[in-house]
Amino acid sequence: MTNSDIGQPPVLPGIDDPASLMLRIAQQQDKSALAALFGLFGPRVKSMMIKLGAGDALAEDLVQETFLTVWRKAALYSNQRGAASTWIFTIARNLRIDQLRRQSNKPYEDLEKVTLASDSPTGSMLVERHQVIDRVTAALTTLSEDQQEVVRLSFIHDMPHARIAETIGIPLGTVKSRLRLAYERLRPMLEDLQ
Amino acid sequence: MTIEHHPDIATLMAFSAGTLDGPYATVIATHLAMSEGGRETLSHMDSIGGALLTAEPAALMSSGSLDRLLGTLGDEKIEVVPHDERGDDALPLPVQSYLPEGLVAVRWKWTGPGVATADLAWGDDGKSRLMLLRVGAGRRVPEHGHGGHELTLILQGAYRDRFGVFAKGDIADHDEDIEHQPIAEPGEDCICLVAVDARLTFRGRLMRVLQPLFGI
Ligand SMILES: [Zn+2]
Ligand SMILES: [Zn+2]
Repeated sequence: MTNSDIGQPPVLPGIDDPASLMLRIAQQQDKSALAALFGLFGPRVKSMMIKLGAGDALAEDLVQETFLTVWRKAALYSNQRGAASTWIFTIARNLRIDQLRRQSNKPYEDLEKVTLASDSPTGSMLVERHQVIDRVTAALTTLSEDQQEVVRLSFIHDMPHARIAETIGIPLGTVKSRLRLAYERLRPMLEDLQ
Repeated sequence: MTIEHHPDIATLMAFSAGTLDGPYATVIATHLAMSEGGRETLSHMDSIGGALLTAEPAALMSSGSLDRLLGTLGDEKIEVVPHDERGDDALPLPVQSYLPEGLVAVRWKWTGPGVATADLAWGDDGKSRLMLLRVGAGRRVPEHGHGGHELTLILQGAYRDRFGVFAKGDIADHDEDIEHQPIAEPGEDCICLVAVDARLTFRGRLMRVLQPLFGI
């Protein structure tokens, strides 16, 4: 697999195997693997950016930035914990914080450096981790409607807890307790990520 | 370093979702830099985001967006794993950008008997703030309630209140309904990194004198 494969239909090891796409990007700087990953997640990242208030052009830009960061940091990924989708989510999250809120310091990037410098490599676990994501996706649908709502408003719509409380007309304490209950419910699946 | 006190699960979920105001995110990131177990928990929460992203509907991409991406790759520099070559005594990275010369160089402002503060930053909306709080060894912070969410991370020394002893790396995650009176443990000054979003309310006869505790 070389960079000259661009323009050919990407050779996928399995259409929904983001973990091996990530490894091909990390180990071989394989552009066709990046193209395939972009095909899988680009439109979903864009959907997320639009839900949190970005216009179409800004959402496209943030998708571009997200996948440029995937490319740039792919070699770090073999040391990262979590599935490819999780990693892409965190990259998109950090970008929206930087670009939409123009926060001056970078607590998430600083923390990422700490994590990379201290945690042990887990590259061989990637495929299993992706299967866990499928299980978490399924588990999310077993949460109560109320719990699903606060989790989605927080993670996808980028709403602070106080704004969730205002939006759905419940006390702040109730937002927090719903989130805690949701996490307790998901915890067994999440901790299986070990 | 054994960390006994961790953030509320709901606070950590907000950090994972990316919705905390800057000062709060900085305090949580600094705590997590000191807590490997906390980073593990965060990575579990992040996969909630990964699962929700996977389940998102696909938005329509503009034509040419893939070519645009592939066309810019050549200019991108591939990053490699950074090495943390700072000593064990160095401040955790997320707070270090505010304190490049360490805690010794902080310019403290006297705000009450035995108590000093230093402002580090304001939040995005100007309502929340990040600051350092120093309580002299053995001294007490006046009893107070919180007008809002308060995160306190111990960077040096320790304090005790009705919730227990809080030492280096521990975080106190208090909501508005909490009242407490921290007393610094003897030995060394207790220095905390604090995010607050509202005026604290003090009770008791010292209230007038101590209201400016945090200079609000
Ligand atoms: Zn913790
Ligand atoms: Zn307090």
